[in-house]
Order: sequence, then structure tokens, then C-alpha cells
Amino acid sequence: MVRKSGFSGVSASVLAAVAIGSVGLATGFATETVSAPVAKKANAGKPGTIVGTRRLTESQYRNTIADVFGPEIQITGRFEPERREHGLFAIGSTELSISSGGFEQYYAMGRAVADQAFAEKSREKVFGGAPANAEAPDDAKAAEFIQHYGKKLFRRPLTEAEVAARVALANRGATQAKSYDAGLKLALVSLLTAPEFLFRVETAEQDPRNRKQLRLDGYTKAQRLSYLIWDSAPDEELFRAAEKGELHTQAGVDKQVARLIASPRFEAGSRALFTDMLQLDRFETITKDAAIYPKFSAAVANSAKEQTLKTLMHLLLEQKADYRTIFTSPETFIDRSLASVYQVPFVAPSGWMKYKYPDDVDQAGIITQVTFLSLFAHAGRSSPTLRGVGVNEVFLCLETPSPPANVDFSIVNDTSNVRLKTTRARLLAHAEDETCAGCHNLTDPIGLSLEGFDGLGQRRLFENGELIDVSAEYDGMEWEGAKGLAQVLHDHPDVPSCIVRNVYAYGVGRSPDEQEDLNYLGAQETAFANNGYKFPDLVKSVASSPEFFKIVIPAAPEPVTTDANVASRKATIRLAGGL
Amino acid sequence: MTSKFNRRSFMRGALGGAAVVVAVPTLDQFLDNNGKAYADGAKLPTRFGTYFWGLGLTPGRWVPNKVGADWDMTPELSSLKDLKKKVSVFSGFRVHLDGRPNIVHWTGQAAILSGVAASKNGSFDAGTFDVDMADQLGGGMRFRSIEMTPFGNPRLSYSTRTGVGFNTPEASPIALYTRLFGEGFQDPNDPNWKPDPSIMLRQSVLSAVTDQRKALMAQAGAADKVKLDQYFTSVREMEGALASQLEKPAKCESCVVPTAPAETAKSGMIETVNKNNVLMGKLTAMALACNQTKLFNVVHTSATSETYLPGDSMIYHSHTHDEAIDEKVGYQVITSKLAGLAFQGYADFVSALEEIKEGDGTLLDNSLVMGFSDTGYAKIHSTDNIPMFFAGGAGGRHKGDMHVVGNGDPVSRVSLTAQQLVGMPVGSFGIGAMKTSKSVSEVVA
Repeated sequence: MVRKSGFSGVSASVLAAVAIGSVGLATGFATETVSAPVAKKANAGKPGTIVGTRRLTESQYRNTIADVFGPEIQITGRFEPERREHGLFAIGSTELSISSGGFEQYYAMGRAVADQAFAEKSREKVFGGAPANAEAPDDAKAAEFIQHYGKKLFRRPLTEAEVAARVALANRGATQAKSYDAGLKLALVSLLTAPEFLFRVETAEQDPRNRKQLRLDGYTKAQRLSYLIWDSAPDEELFRAAEKGELHTQAGVDKQVARLIASPRFEAGSRALFTDMLQLDRFETITKDAAIYPKFSAAVANSAKEQTLKTLMHLLLEQKADYRTIFTSPETFIDRSLASVYQVPFVAPSGWMKYKYPDDVDQAGIITQVTFLSLFAHAGRSSPTLRGVGVNEVFLCLETPSPPANVDFSIVNDTSNVRLKTTRARLLAHAEDETCAGCHNLTDPIGLSLEGFDGLGQRRLFENGELIDVSAEYDGMEWEGAKGLAQVLHDHPDVPSCIVRNVYAYGVGRSPDEQEDLNYLGAQETAFANNGYKFPDLVKSVASSPEFFKIVIPAAPEPVTTDANVASRKATIRLAGGL
Repeated sequence: MTSKFNRRSFMRGALGGAAVVVAVPTLDQFLDNNGKAYADGAKLPTRFGTYFWGLGLTPGRWVPNKVGADWDMTPELSSLKDLKKKVSVFSGFRVHLDGRPNIVHWTGQAAILSGVAASKNGSFDAGTFDVDMADQLGGGMRFRSIEMTPFGNPRLSYSTRTGVGFNTPEASPIALYTRLFGEGFQDPNDPNWKPDPSIMLRQSVLSAVTDQRKALMAQAGAADKVKLDQYFTSVREMEGALASQLEKPAKCESCVVPTAPAETAKSGMIETVNKNNVLMGKLTAMALACNQTKLFNVVHTSATSETYLPGDSMIYHSHTHDEAIDEKVGYQVITSKLAGLAFQGYADFVSALEEIKEGDGTLLDNSLVMGFSDTGYAKIHSTDNIPMFFAGGAGGRHKGDMHVVGNGDPVSRVSLTAQQLVGMPVGSFGIGAMKTSKSVSEVVA
């Protein structure tokens, strides 16, 4: 197994042996700042340079549009598929561009958003009253409109050239259609289809305190904060703080982070983070055999996803409970369709009801919900291996390598062998094969303790007439069933390390794999433990730290090679940054 | 779409309804005396497609015994029997790993399409040749290429410009229909065609976007430049598509505008996948006939195919590893059945092209569809003897009915041959040990 980088599994002695340098890592997280040296190569590290582009995720797109134009705007269309790297879409988003088919979709969505925003019902609400002459262009008013909405969509003020191009477009459109609104609508579509909107462009500027150093500019810092905490663009107050330079001071950052976390919109941000981390998007791509699992449907999938998020928000934000209780808490929420899957009565008139698993039922926490159990299973049966992989990857940040290519499965799959009649026996036979054992010993015991649930997540005691054995042994630990596994995870030191790593990686869009990242994450983990494993405190601590604004200076573009099909080149990673 | 009732509208509905397929011949007045070109001298275009299915075929069940012309039919290829004369079979070609690991269910398609084994799961080390082909040959069409998967997973695509982001496929017949024949489609045979003035305004919107290209690119580092470059390429493709809509389309009598298919089920059941595949094949064939695109890429099922037989709790991928070889027959029985059904997807798709008359032949005669998989033996993830096929005449350049044995040559030889057959000006393909300038001359007419 490969431990995801940025993980506390590094021994304390290794951490202690590494110089911390000028980045403060103890409580209070440093008032000292670190910046990137201005590079000599062209385009690499120049002031005003782009230090990262991250394609907006679907939820970021939706949330941003709702914030700017109102929640009633309908967005229908197909978003470009996202890509999970090191466990997170947030990291994969830094590698993605937009294909031609994808651009067609963004263009269509942009037109639809503009149409709705200018529809009679919402026009006044969004843009104010009608212009003096509704049938003619008005460059001055158009420029005002473009600057106002451009800033919200590009997450920074527009340049003069960016405004001028849209004013000219609005003028042409208004003239041709004899409609001021028609021209403005075209300008809005051009904003909604621009790379500066569809990608979160991160830029750096010269640090005035040290002109040889770079730092993220204020607007980039603002969007890092708002997308981590709200999953949306900065609001006016955050823009103001960016404009005034307040995000270059610890006090300014602390104030804004506290405000963002205190907002009810923190829930949207937290939901987005857990949707990514728990891979809830996979409901879009899995299928279940209707003949075997007739209760599975798109509605059940949606309910299951909501159940998991509701449970997490209830525990982590409302109750401010210890993060590790997500594995052990008997409290959850169900709706009618889930009650049917779980085979329990639904007594609310409609919607959702709180539900507590009875003490005598082997069920607790989010890994015994339909979400986890069905996502990490096959179309027609459970899979202890997939569930083990899921627990390792999602909650312990342990990546599973690809299986070796040249494995002979014939011994394991010889069904005439009386020892290997059951799933358990067949899987445990992997342990006897050295090639397989390395990984299967780390996955299968976890999954076998969840065999009391079928491939949909329905409880069961028997499989093919045999009582299911849910005992497990792993890494010197022995446990029984789902609740046993829940307690093992609750007590596992890698569980808090993993969420610390994920919050940071999700926020900065990079796998933290440099040694100084590990030092930093180790300190964050200690703070997390000292604060009683409170999730909001973790987010606050990460977002307030100078390391949250670190810069990865990209490699300079290389000359075009003549070798066909040049792959994208990895950036040379050089870390620096801070407040 | 027109609302008139005419000969073409009579044909509509074939896609959504019964399996009745009636080819409409291209009327003679559109063609020169040889039936190879339109009367105005424009050659009938050569189309190209890639067609991937996961988990290969079963050793001993697909490679013809006879080498060279007039290959003998084998059990797992039987769905191609009516088209055998237009199909070449490539066996014995393999991936040269060049020191890279064999990344299971990934290395095969990476090597065939990008010319080099991938060094990392989930991405290719180079872009795929179909994208180069779209850049060079796909111009003048509304779409440079179309990607699709009948499996319903919107992440199933192996077509990539950068090796990292993959071109998004249409994942259902209705989505494919909407893209091809929905807004923006112009019937090439509509006598009342007029340019849509709103298209010019839409072009202006894109101009406002691309105006800032230079400033943005100047600020970007290498990796961001690659991403932004792809973004601006996508914008340019849309500009090209809009420009093509301002020109009166050339008439093409083979074009019969289809009606929208009904909503279809999304399921991993192999029958459902194959039903969606048939619909997508017919839609794609008509998009080719209607000059909407010249290129397409299909992923029938992923390389770890999750298809299953009705009521079977095990998926295809699991069977390939878990099913014991039946000693009586010498192969994995269920796995072979699923392999035959998966391969039928390829046969059905190229049959859809064969059903459309074009010139003095069929649309398939003017096309080349390269079928391939990820492995030569899924049970052990072998990248030797990966099944590869050409179907179609490539405008008279592909000989067909040939079985060529590679004797361990790199799969990139077949990929290079495909590119050359459709007119790509390339002399070599591949990187490192996979680089080759030796095409498979046996199949070149």
C-alpha cells in the first residue's frame, strides 16, 4: 500500500529531524511569512504570473451562479467529467482543461443563464430597472454592468481591455437587435464562457516587503478562502478585504476566516468537501442489477447521498462533535425510500426523520450507510475487497496500487476446492499467495467485517444459507462486525491525519508531498487533537495558516518539441508563499 | 429539421422503431460518373472512427487459422460474418513496455492510441492520434470529432489532446442525438436554407473571449499554458463550427434526418449496452452521412467492463479473473460468451455504416473503423496479442478480408497504418520502443 503524501504516518523522529525554517508551526500559526523568490526564467515566477488554474467544479459553478444571479436560475447541461487525483477532485481540477464538447456545453449553459437573468421576471431583481432607451446601445451603462458582474464572475476586477472587448460586443449586439438588453446579454455570455470564469486563475504579485519574493495576490487569497469554506466565489466583504490588502495580514485573514465559518454557507462548503472526499459523485456512474437489487433506483441513490451528508453536517457542524464519531454514532436520518432499504419503519409524515440504530443491531456510523456500502460493491454483489480499498483510500488516505499484471488466479478460483466455497474463504486464500497478500491483507479483513450488508447496503445474516462470519483480524487488531470496525476506525491514528491532509489538499489543490508539508500537517494534526477533533476548528486552523497561501511556482513553458503528441509537462515544484 | 413530408421524412423513425433499415441511395445527379465523388468534383470524404471494448477476446476463440487473404471465421468474431470481406484482422501485435509497468486495463489502450505505454494509471504519456487526425482532417465539419459510450458512464473516453483530460463522451442515445441533430443542426438538403444571423453574434461572443488569449497565455507557466491552449483550441473549434453553419451546406442525399430516439435505459446489462450501441451507431452513421463530422470515438465498455448477463451477480471483469477454464472445452465459457457479446458491439456499429448507401457503395466503404481492446488475455492482463481490426474501405485504400500476424511487433504499427489509410501525412508513429515507421502494407490496397 502506498500512503498518500502529506500524511502523519511519517515518524516523529523524521519530522523532528527536518528544519522547520521560517514557517512557524506551533500554536498561532506564525506571523512570519514566507514568499517565493522571483525566478529568473521567463514567465516562471514573474510578478503577475499565473501560478495555478483550477477548473471550476460543477458545484462551484452552480453555487457561484446562484450567488451572483439568484438561486432560482436553473442550470441544466452536462458538465465536463472531473478527475480524482490522490483521492480528491480538488487536486485533479488543477490538471483539467475543457474539451471541445465540454466547451459547447459551457457555452449553452452560459446562454441559458443569461437568458434567465434577463428574463422579465428576474431582470429587475438582478440588474435594476430598464435603461433609458431600451432599444439602443449605451456604452457607459454597459461598462458599469460588465465591471460589476465581471468582478463577481472573474473573482477580481476586470482589466480595461477585458471591459472594452465586452462593451464593443454589447454595442454591436444592441445595434443589430435594436435592444440594449440583447447586447448586454451577449457580453454576459462572453463573461460566462471566458477562461477567467471557468477556471480559478491564481496569480502572484511581488511582495512589497521583499521585492525579490512573490506572494499570492489578495484576490487569489480571497477565492482560496471562499471556495474552501463556502464552495463559492468571494462576497463583497471578502472582495473589500482583498482590495484593502487586509488578506496580507494575519489579523485580516483571521477576521475573514472567522466570518466565513460563522456563516450558514459554511455548510455548503463542508458538503462539497465531503462529497469530494467520500466520492459521492460515483452514484452518477454506478449501476445495480435490478433483478438482484430491485429497491435500488436513482431516487434511492440521491437519498443515500443526502443521508450521508445530513449525518455529517449534524454531527460535525450542529453538534460540533469529535470528527471520529462519524464512524460510531448511531444517529442518522432516513427518508421513506431508505427506510425500505434498511427495513425499518418510517414514521414521519414525509421528508426526513431522525433515526437511531438500535443497540442490538450491528450498524453505526457512515460506513454502514447505503452510500458507502453500495458505492464500494459490484453491480450484483458485495465486495469485501472494494470496501477495504474504500476505507483505506477515503478515511485513511492509503492509496491502493494497481494489482500486479501477471497474477494466476486459478488456484484461488478453483471452485472444486472444498476449502474455497465461500467469498471469505476465497478471499482469504489470497493471503496464501505472496503476490496477492501484500494488498489483500490490508483490504479484505476490513471488507469482510462489513459482509453483514449486501451490495446495496441491506442488512443480512446469511449468504447462500450460511451464517456470515464477520470477524476480522488486521495489523494485530481483532474485531467483530461493522461496529467493531467502527471502533477500530475511531481509534485509528491515521483517521485524523487523513482528514487534516484532505482539508489542506482540498483547499490548496495540490497533494502535500514535500517534507515541509509533512511538518506543517503534523503540527495541524496536533492542534486538531488538542481542539477535540472539531471539524470547524480544523478548517479554521488550516485556512488561517500562512501555508494555506503557499505558492507552487510553475515551470516556464518549454519550446515546442517536434515529437508528436507532446504530453503536458509537470511543473517544477518549488514551494514558497505565505501571508 | 424540416417539417415537410418528403422521401426523406418517410424514412424517419427508423432509429426509434423496429430494426427495419432501408438504405436511401445517393441520387445520381449528385455524383460523377464513377460514383466516387460529388458532381462538383468534391471527393466523398473518408471517415474514421475508433471503437474500443474492454477485456479483449478469448485466446483460441478469435484468431483465424488462415493468415493472409480470405481469413476463416472464428467463434467470437461470428457477428462480423456478413462484413468479413471488408474487415482486416490483426493478431500477434503487442505493447512494448519500454521499461514502464504493465498498468492493468490501461496500458493497452494507451499504447494503441498514444503510441507509448502509459507510465501512470489514469493518464496517457501523450495525446491520442485521433485528436491529431481531427485537427488535420476534421475541418470544415460542424464537429471535428464526436465521442460516445453506450455504457452510460460520462467518464468513459480515451480520446485526449494532452494525455490528462479526456474528451467528454455522449453517454446516451438521446444525448448523442441532441448534440448531433439538436440546436445548430442544418439539414443539408433543406431547399429553404438561409444563414442564421444570430450565428454571427455568437461568433462575436467568442471573439471577445479569445481577444484576451495573448495576455493570459503570456502570464502562464508551462502546465497552465497546456490547459489554456486546449481551452482556446476548443473555442476555435466552436468558431469553426459556427463558421460552417454560415455556409450553405452541400447537398447529400444519403442524409436522412433521424427522429429523436426515446429515452433509453442505463444499465450495465450487456443487452442494454448493446441496444444503446445500435442506436448510437445509427445516429453516428447518419451524422457522417449528413456531413456533421468525419471522425468519431466509441468506448463500448471500460477496460474493466462492468457489464453482466441478466441475473448474474458477477460482472464481466470478475468473470475473466474468477472463472476457471472449463477442461472439457478448454476455455472460460461465460467469459467467452461475454467477449462475443462485447465484440458484437463493434460489429453492430460498423453494420450501421454499411446500411447507408453512398456513391456506388456504402458509407462503410468510405470509412475506416479501427476496433481494439486493452488486453490479449484478460485473465492474466496480457498485453500481447491484443485484438485489433479494421472495418471499411477507407475510400478504396483498405484492402479488407486480410489476417495479418504481427509476430510481436508493436501495436503502433496498426495505429500508424490506420492514420495513413485515411490520408494523414505521417511517416511514423509512437515514442521510444513503440516508435515505428513500418505500416502494415498487407492491408493497403
